[in-house]
Amino acid sequence: MPLLARTLREISQILVLAILFALGVNAMSPRGIALMGQWDVSEGLVRAGAKNEVMTHDREITRVQDAYALFQTGSVLFVDARDETLYSEGHIKGAESLPVYDYDAHFENFIARHPRMDQTLITYCSGRECEDSHTLATYLTDDGYTKVVIFIDGYPAWQKEGFPVEYGH
Amino acid sequence: MNTAIENAMTNKKLECLVRWTLGGVFVYASIHKILDPSEFAKIIYGYQLVPGYVINLSAIILPFVELFTGLFLLLGIYPRSSAILANVMLGIFMVAISINLIRGHEFDCGCFSVNKNGHTASNIELLIRDAIWFVFGLLPILFRTERLFVIRS
Repeated sequence: MPLLARTLREISQILVLAILFALGVNAMSPRGIALMGQWDVSEGLVRAGAKNEVMTHDREITRVQDAYALFQTGSVLFVDARDETLYSEGHIKGAESLPVYDYDAHFENFIARHPRMDQTLITYCSGRECEDSHTLATYLTDDGYTKVVIFIDGYPAWQKEGFPVEYGH
Repeated sequence: MNTAIENAMTNKKLECLVRWTLGGVFVYASIHKILDPSEFAKIIYGYQLVPGYVINLSAIILPFVELFTGLFLLLGIYPRSSAILANVMLGIFMVAISINLIRGHEFDCGCFSVNKNGHTASNIELLIRDAIWFVFGLLPILFRTERLFVIRS
């Protein structure tokens, strides 16, 4: 068999094997993702999406002005999901730091200071390419907070609008 | 120089060592992507090179192409074709990294780890690393004599 034809046949076999395994493992794995994700920032948070996931946007604040209006009421608490370094470099004025990757270590302190479970919490991170605010909202809801919403444009959009920010811890 | 290359092209032990090393690198590079396809999809998105509807499928399939290519190199199954596939992938990675280098776009390559803090590796370093593997990959492709430890050549 000519070398080129043989090479193409062998490569095709490797690819078919890989594709079949990939789709099979993805279908069976709890970490599997949807075959198509949400990658358009104008549509909201970008993410791969879990299998069979129905993407819900009902807890998202999609306009920075809406987030600011809630900020002006003074009755909501902004919760920063980013790491402490980013938080100290600048955050929404009055926001609490609760880094999502170190949630367990910080949560006890957080709930001690905010024991009211019906307090409105607004989580945020670095914008629509950042999933941390959604993850944090899920954690807080699982831990009993009943009014948790997500400001999906996050700190960059807030800062760009010139809304109140503060620095340090 | 030519003699050195010719010697390398007929050195069975060297071919085996290079093939196993390359295979090991591909298997290792595939594991974290298989374990966390969601994060790998975000890394592909970060390259800003492929349309949205291709991202998830790429994140699902590409790691397994890497895995099987690596395993076939290690086991000596279709060693030449596996090495060609490895170099095609390395070529694609180098083009993707170069395009983002040219347009000054910072991103996480996702090569060996999925870093949740958005680590940005040195792009030049990535290019050099891929280029070195690419050159290594030429040996099992161009090797012509009988190979050591192959199940199916």
